[in-house]
Amino acid sequence: MALNLESSNVATRENRIGSITGYIGTLSDLANQSGCGTLKGCSRCFSQSSTCLSSCALGQLSAIRDVAIIHHGPAGCSVASAGAYYLDKVMAKKRGITNNTVYVGTDMNEKDTIFGSTEALGKIILEVNKRYSPKAIFVTSSCATGIIGEDIDSVVDEVREEIDVPIAAVHCEGFKSRIWATGFDISDHAVLSSIVQPPKQKRNTINFKNFYESARTEIIEIFKNFDLEPVFLYCNSSVEELSHISESLATTCICGTLGNYLGNGLEEKYGVPYVRTINPLGVAGFETWLREIGKVTDRSEKVEKYIEEQRAVYIPKIEEIKKELKGLKAVLGMGPGYTFEVSRVLNELGIEVVWALAWHYDKKYENGDVPPSMEYLLEHDVDFETSVADQQNYEVMNILNKYQPDLYLSRHPGSTVWAIKNGTPAVYVADEYMIFGYKHTLEFAQSVLDSIHNRSFEKNLARRVKLPYTDWWYQQNVDEFLENRR
Amino acid sequence: MAELRQIAIYGKGGIGKSTTTQNLTAGLVEHGKKVMVVGCDPKADSTRLLLGGLAQKTVLDTIRDEGEDIELDRIMREGYGGTRCVESGGPEPGVGCAGRGIITSINMLENLGAYTDDLDYVFYDVLGDVVCGGFAMPIREGKAKEIYIVASGEMMALYAANNIAKGIKRYAKTGGVRIGGIICNSRNVDRELDLLRAFAKELGTQLLYFVPRDNIVQRAEINKKTVIEYKPDSNQAKEYRNLAEAVINNTKFDIPTPMTQERLEEILFEFGLMDSADDYHI
Repeated sequence: MALNLESSNVATRENRIGSITGYIGTLSDLANQSGCGTLKGCSRCFSQSSTCLSSCALGQLSAIRDVAIIHHGPAGCSVASAGAYYLDKVMAKKRGITNNTVYVGTDMNEKDTIFGSTEALGKIILEVNKRYSPKAIFVTSSCATGIIGEDIDSVVDEVREEIDVPIAAVHCEGFKSRIWATGFDISDHAVLSSIVQPPKQKRNTINFKNFYESARTEIIEIFKNFDLEPVFLYCNSSVEELSHISESLATTCICGTLGNYLGNGLEEKYGVPYVRTINPLGVAGFETWLREIGKVTDRSEKVEKYIEEQRAVYIPKIEEIKKELKGLKAVLGMGPGYTFEVSRVLNELGIEVVWALAWHYDKKYENGDVPPSMEYLLEHDVDFETSVADQQNYEVMNILNKYQPDLYLSRHPGSTVWAIKNGTPAVYVADEYMIFGYKHTLEFAQSVLDSIHNRSFEKNLARRVKLPYTDWWYQQNVDEFLENRR
Repeated sequence: MAELRQIAIYGKGGIGKSTTTQNLTAGLVEHGKKVMVVGCDPKADSTRLLLGGLAQKTVLDTIRDEGEDIELDRIMREGYGGTRCVESGGPEPGVGCAGRGIITSINMLENLGAYTDDLDYVFYDVLGDVVCGGFAMPIREGKAKEIYIVASGEMMALYAANNIAKGIKRYAKTGGVRIGGIICNSRNVDRELDLLRAFAKELGTQLLYFVPRDNIVQRAEINKKTVIEYKPDSNQAKEYRNLAEAVINNTKFDIPTPMTQERLEEILFEFGLMDSADDYHI
């Protein structure tokens, strides 16, 4: 699907790539229905939770170094600013740099809502520019500005002449989409349309879209073997760095949900190949991914050499630990960029996935394909019960009670806490690189083993905690609150 | 003291809601009634004839310039025959949210104690169609319980009236809102009286009054006056007095029964054409 960078508005994932938040069935059915176009998402007549997409969009943009986010909306809509500010500072400190990004809310009140406040917004932009001298400015909308149709595009166009740094209008009204990952696309769109410049020269760099660049040093070292230099996006990225990402040899990402829009956008607009393999988690993932990078950057030989060396070190150890993991049963709940990738790794380690929940599901990626991890699993005859539930914890608890797995895995901390309270050992796959490459696959396997070897914590906690769910709920089908199910 | 009657006037844009409301108000004043007119239109021209011009600073402009700590007399002016005139006001065309503005200004009127015990009538003169929740504010939360729709025999006026009836029906279920009738502001189209009667009947209400077309209304408007003030002895002044009496004496309040587009068009076909309809030439 062609990206329209001329418009500041991005269509939602639901509209653009047929994403859904409600489904219960099997992995194979989900894939088949995606392929033949019959997949229809179900809505819920009861929803326990949701997340605002604007915090996703603004979290991404505010992680860029020394920029200004001007969030045009009521003060409460800027609630994410405290978290974003904290994260920016911590991540910069960790890296040993400074990040002077500012996050300004326009404190829209009732009067502004009635009369519109584009004039004030214009002044705020100029004042922020004068006071903080940011390297780029993102002027973002909120639900209130969206409802009254506040014309932030015109304001941005008007002040553009007076500001000598990139400035973009970012439309991230929370009500646009139930899928918070739409916020990732919105941030990518803003970066692509306002900061990224056409390439002047090719560089030996690889764009690496990730969350918090925790394996930065390690990946830089790995890529040195291939004479490549990773550019991590967007946490701690400078605007200067971002302006050159069209000059990279390829784009890759740690999470398909996170990287899909930027990767496809760079490929479509500037011909930068987007590495669309399964992700570098687990052995098969890491090798497939590395080989594709080798192929698109013409470095296959170096890659093969590296793989051979590393296999000799790690594969025997991984094989050894697999013996102890064999036969374990797991349930997992994650964003779709991880659910099927981690399912694949669990399968590789001999752990049986009995149910996988994806917080949403993208029917097709921007290039029209189903997510590669899903295709991989089906090609390898792996199938399991699958549901799409946007962090509906009550559904997770129902599944855990029905299947009594040895293990629950999630990338969202609240979710694992509930499993533990239920007495289910849980692994919090917090770090995006927790299963990256040979080394971390081995460590991950060890973590799983540790979690199930000593279950006294879960047992003791479960004995002392009374969960709010009734027996009635545990006896219901998981899809009880899904409308038009199956 | 009789109970306060709060009345909202709706109808297609340009149909003559403000003109009708103000002339009706002038008629009520002659009966010794105490009336407040609240203009709910960003154009703020609902009280022009009563005040002798656009002499009014709107509620929203006042709040914007002076904050919310204001006295009632800052936003309320006395007009013809002691009527109290308020203009809600609103943003410039194309910006902000006029609907939210109406919600704010009506709340402000309430907070400032504008609804005094000596009032007999409050009229809300609401912009064109009920485009969003804000414009339904007068009929929500127990404010106006009596609605009149101004219409003519023109297709689009009836279409708008039918649409507005849908909104009234919605609030009738919970808020006790009722339609008091259709007021025809005549455009001299074919068989207008028959058509309006049939339309009103189908809508589950009545044709409250048929105001004939008279150019004196235009002259009075140019002179910034109601017809009753401008030419008290004219025939049209009598018509507005009759309208005022019809409102005073009205006891028929119904939940409307809006019709489908097809049914509306059937009624137009049945009543809206003269036998010699095709002889119209320019």
